[in-house]
Amino acid sequence: MNHEHEELIDLLAAEYVVGTLRGSARRRFERICSSMPAANAARSRWEDRLAILALQLDPIQPQARTWRAIRQQISATTVTPMRPRKPRGRWLALAAAAALLAIAVWLVPQWTGAPTQIVAVLGTDAAHPQWRIERSADAHQLRVTALGAMTSDPRSAFELWALPRDGKPPVSLGLLPRDGNAALRLNLAQSLAVLAAGKLAVSVEPPGGSPTGAPTGPVIMLVAVTSSS
Amino acid sequence: MVTMSVADNDEIEQLLIRCAAQDPAALEQLYKHVAGTLLAVVLRIVRQRDLAEDTLQDVFVRIWVNARQYDQIRGRPLAWMISIARYRAIDLMRSQRLAVPLIEEDLPEQLIATDAEPASFGESARTKTALQHCLEILSAPQQRCLVLAYQEGLSHEAVATSVGQPLGTVKSWIRRGLQSLRRCLES
Repeated sequence: MNHEHEELIDLLAAEYVVGTLRGSARRRFERICSSMPAANAARSRWEDRLAILALQLDPIQPQARTWRAIRQQISATTVTPMRPRKPRGRWLALAAAAALLAIAVWLVPQWTGAPTQIVAVLGTDAAHPQWRIERSADAHQLRVTALGAMTSDPRSAFELWALPRDGKPPVSLGLLPRDGNAALRLNLAQSLAVLAAGKLAVSVEPPGGSPTGAPTGPVIMLVAVTSSS
Repeated sequence: MVTMSVADNDEIEQLLIRCAAQDPAALEQLYKHVAGTLLAVVLRIVRQRDLAEDTLQDVFVRIWVNARQYDQIRGRPLAWMISIARYRAIDLMRSQRLAVPLIEEDLPEQLIATDAEPASFGESARTKTALQHCLEILSAPQQRCLVLAYQEGLSHEAVATSVGQPLGTVKSWIRRGLQSLRRCLES
């Protein structure tokens, strides 16, 4: 990498961290960072340098409800050795159920026409549902219904991800329709990811979806999967 | 439930390592240490208290989910968390295109508090003085535009409106400010 190139990357990193790199340029730089360690390192350096500007702000005591909501959200995704009783029992039961379902998926791969179950309703908040996600009983298919219109750059795509409970990387489930509904066919890995997911997330991606197999754009929605029992 | 308490980077890093091992007690400790700062960071950008609290919630869930990215965190846990909070707030403002009123009482006049208590988070004292020193070297407009953009999450256009200067001028102030800052920090 020549010096000029290095300078440019560093300036982009700085503008990214300051926040003045916007729109598609911002997303492009995120993709550069995920494939180019030097860019990622430059971004980290600027994050470190400028963090002091954030630390100059006087802390503000959050409302009590915020921590309660966080605790509630993470408890759905937690396997904890510290408090083994309830969460762990639940996790083991879920894992066993997922394993059984996985076997069922293997044995009965064409179990179509089965009833569906709502997995999640995604929206920026409860008052503005955006997509309803249902899965077929065999977990081979998701039915996605757009409930509202996304007002955003028509060139960007919305990609649905399953976030495993064990903290492994997100698994892409496909692109969400802007309107109407769509069926997403899942392969075995995706089916298992849906069954074992603690949360679903939606990220904004370039047309055609994430080029890296991991979310590259901002995650605009993150919801816990509706309990299956 | 929390009051801000002082913790150093090592302690925060240890808490993040425990979060990566899915220990909710560690997240609660972490929250006690940094939630107040992260809320202040987010509120500056989104400017609505309820939205800021919701964003803070999302930020902590992300911290919980992403705590395994140890390579990203090592040695710089606080900057890592501040970045999650800022980027989340900036993206939220962009995706929702929120037209929000300026809440004046939340925005102190003195944006660069050079005499602020600097050591509460145990970042290296040398770095701190260096950065503050280098900020002071910038011209007043460069400094003001940079801090406005960073702390308030303003776009070039919004900074230009805020300081009443042409867009091109503001862009070049910010760019030159960043270049000077880097030269100063690397020297």
